[in-house]
Amino acid sequence: MKYSIIVLLELEEMFKGSVQFIQNLYELFSKRQESFELITIINGVGDFMKDELTAFLIRHDTVKALEFNSKTSQAVCLKTALKETSGEIVVVCGSYQQISSDSLLELIDAIDDEVDIVTPWRQHRVDSVLNQFQSKLFNALVRKLTASTYHDTSCTVKVFRREVLENVEIYGNMYRFLSILADKKGFKTKEIKCEHYEQHGKSTYYGLARYINIFIDIFTLYFNTWFTRKPLRFFSAIGVILSFIGLFIALYVFAQKIFLNYSIGDRPLLLLAIFFMVLGVQAASAGLLGEIIAFTHGRNRKEYTVEKLI
Amino acid sequence: MTTFEPKDIPLYLSIVVPLYNEEESVEKLLSNILEVTKQFDFDYEIIFVDDGSEDDTWAIIEKLKVTTPQLKAIKFRRNYGQTSAMVAGFDYARGEIIVTMDGDLQNDPSDIPLLLEKMEQGYDIVSGWRKNRKDHFSRVLPSKMANAIISFTTGVRLNDYGCSLKAYRSQYIKPLNAYGEMHRFFPALASMTGARITEVPVNHYARKYGVSKYGFERILKVFSDIFAMNLIIRFSSTPLKGFTFSSIPFFLMTVFFAILAVLSWNFQWTSGKTLFFFIAMALSGMAVVHLITLGVLGELVVGTSDLSHTKLPRYKKILMQKGEDEGLKKDQVNAKGHPLDLEVLHDKARTN
Repeated sequence: MKYSIIVLLELEEMFKGSVQFIQNLYELFSKRQESFELITIINGVGDFMKDELTAFLIRHDTVKALEFNSKTSQAVCLKTALKETSGEIVVVCGSYQQISSDSLLELIDAIDDEVDIVTPWRQHRVDSVLNQFQSKLFNALVRKLTASTYHDTSCTVKVFRREVLENVEIYGNMYRFLSILADKKGFKTKEIKCEHYEQHGKSTYYGLARYINIFIDIFTLYFNTWFTRKPLRFFSAIGVILSFIGLFIALYVFAQKIFLNYSIGDRPLLLLAIFFMVLGVQAASAGLLGEIIAFTHGRNRKEYTVEKLI
Repeated sequence: MTTFEPKDIPLYLSIVVPLYNEEESVEKLLSNILEVTKQFDFDYEIIFVDDGSEDDTWAIIEKLKVTTPQLKAIKFRRNYGQTSAMVAGFDYARGEIIVTMDGDLQNDPSDIPLLLEKMEQGYDIVSGWRKNRKDHFSRVLPSKMANAIISFTTGVRLNDYGCSLKAYRSQYIKPLNAYGEMHRFFPALASMTGARITEVPVNHYARKYGVSKYGFERILKVFSDIFAMNLIIRFSSTPLKGFTFSSIPFFLMTVFFAILAVLSWNFQWTSGKTLFFFIAMALSGMAVVHLITLGVLGELVVGTSDLSHTKLPRYKKILMQKGEDEGLKKDQVNAKGHPLDLEVLHDKARTN
C-alpha cells in the first residue's frame, strides 16, 4: 500500500460537511494511480452523522473506520490509526477541509528521497483576523523557543513517511508539533505554501481555555525539545536565579546592618531573602528528581535514530 | 534495518569509531587500523559510526566497505554527539571486548594490542592515557583539572578521562545505555557495577585535518556535567538518603529559628521579633519537608523503574578455589580461545 489517509474526526468539530469531505478525499485519491487506504478515526462518542458515515463505509470497502469509546488525544488516535494501516506514506486530515485539494496533492508529491515530512503553510487565511493574529503570535513563539523555521504548526494536515511517526515519540497534544520533533530526530522536513480552504473557519473564535492550553503545549514542547535528557539544567537555572535574588537581598540587608547599623531582625526584606533561597532550593531539587527519572526510566529510549546500516 | 547480519556470531574484538565530518582522515584511519589488526589471530570487526556528517564521510565509508568486509558502518539521521555515536556502536557491536577511539587520527591504533594485553590480565576497562599530549596548553590544563575533579569525586582515579582510546568488556559497557554527554564518565559509571579499571600510556598525535571541536563553552559544560553525573551516581540508588542529607542545613536553620522564637516568645527577649522568627522557622521547615517529600517521590521513581541500573552485572563467574575440575576451567576461556589468567581471577575473587 502506498498511501494511508487518516481522517481524524474530533467530536466538537464534527459538522455536516465531514462525510462529504471524506468522500471528496476518496474520489481525489481514486483518480490517482497509486494504491491507497482510508481510515476514519472518530474521537469520542456521538451518534451525530453516524448514519451517513455508515452508508458511505458500506459503499466503499477500502475505507475503514474506528471509534474511540471516549475522547482521547490526537496522539493516541494517530498511533492507533498507524497500527491499523500499512501505507508507506501517511496523509493526516482533520474533520473538515483545511487546505485546497490541489495543495493537498502538492504536499503528497513533495515527499521524495530528500523529504520525509511535509507540512502546509496556509496562505490567504479566511478565518477571523483575531485568530490569524493569535496564530502568528503562537507560531513566532514556537519558532523562537525551539529554534525552528515553521510558520504554521497548528494545521492538522500533515504528510509524512511511516517511519516518522514510528520514531518520534508523541503524546497528548504534541502531534501539532510533529514536524519540529521529527526535525530534531533528524528527519528531513519541508514546509509548503498552501491555499487556505476553510468553510466554517470564519465563525469560530478561540476562547480563554484554548489560550491556556496552547501555552501549556508550547511549554511542553520547549521542555521536550531541550531538557528531557537533562532536566537539571532547566531547573537549576531557575533555582540559581531565585537563590541569587535571595542572596542579593540578604547581602543588601546585612550591609545596612553592618554599615548603617539598622535593626534588621524584624525587616520583612530579610524574610523575603530567606523565602527566595528556599524557593531556589525547591526548584533545583525538583530538577534533581527529574534527573533521577531521566536516568532510571529514560535510558532504554535510544537517543539516536539510524538512517542506514552497512 | 535493526541489526547487522549475521548477528549472533560472537567476536573477540569490536573497534568503535565515531566520525563527524572526517572526510580527510577516514581513509587513512581505516588503513592505520587494518595495519594493526592484520596481525590479529582472532575475529574482529570495525564499526564506523557516522554522526550525521555534512561532508562526504559517508560516501567514503560506503566505498571503503566494498573492499573491507570486516567494516560495519552506522549512519545517523543527524548529529547526536559523541556519546550517542559510541552508544550506537556498543549496541551493534558483537565483540566481547569493545575498543573505542577518535576518528580524527589523534589516537594511534597500534596501541590497541597494549589495551588488549591489559584486558587479558583480567581488567574490565582499560583507559588510554595521553601521557605526552600534543595539544596546546590551554586545552591540556582544563582537561587536567577536569580529570582531577572527576577522579576525586567519583573515586575512580584516572589520569585521562577525556582520551577516547579505551577498551571495555562489553558486559560492563552495554547495559549502561548512556545518554547526553556521558562518554567521559564511562569508567566512573561502570565502576558502579564493580568493573576493574586501569590505564596505560598511549601515543597521541596533534590534529592534522579539520578543526578541533572544543572550546571554552565546552569546558563549562564539562564541569556542569561532572556535577550532574556525581549527583546522579550518588542519588539514583538511594534518593531518600540523598535528599534527606541535603535537607540537613535547612533542618538546622529550622531548629535555630525555633529556639529563637521560643526564647523571644516566652522570655520576652527581643520581643518585637517573635513573628519574624516564627516565619523564618516556617520557611526553612518548608524546605525540609519539601526535600524529604521529593526524596520519597524519588524512591517511588527508582522503585518503579525497570531497575536496569541496579541489574547491571555486578558479578561474574570465577573459580573460587584453585585446582577445581577441568570442566570449569574450560569455561574460563574467552571468545579468542585463550584461557583467562587464573591468577588474576583468584586475586580478584579475594579482593571482591
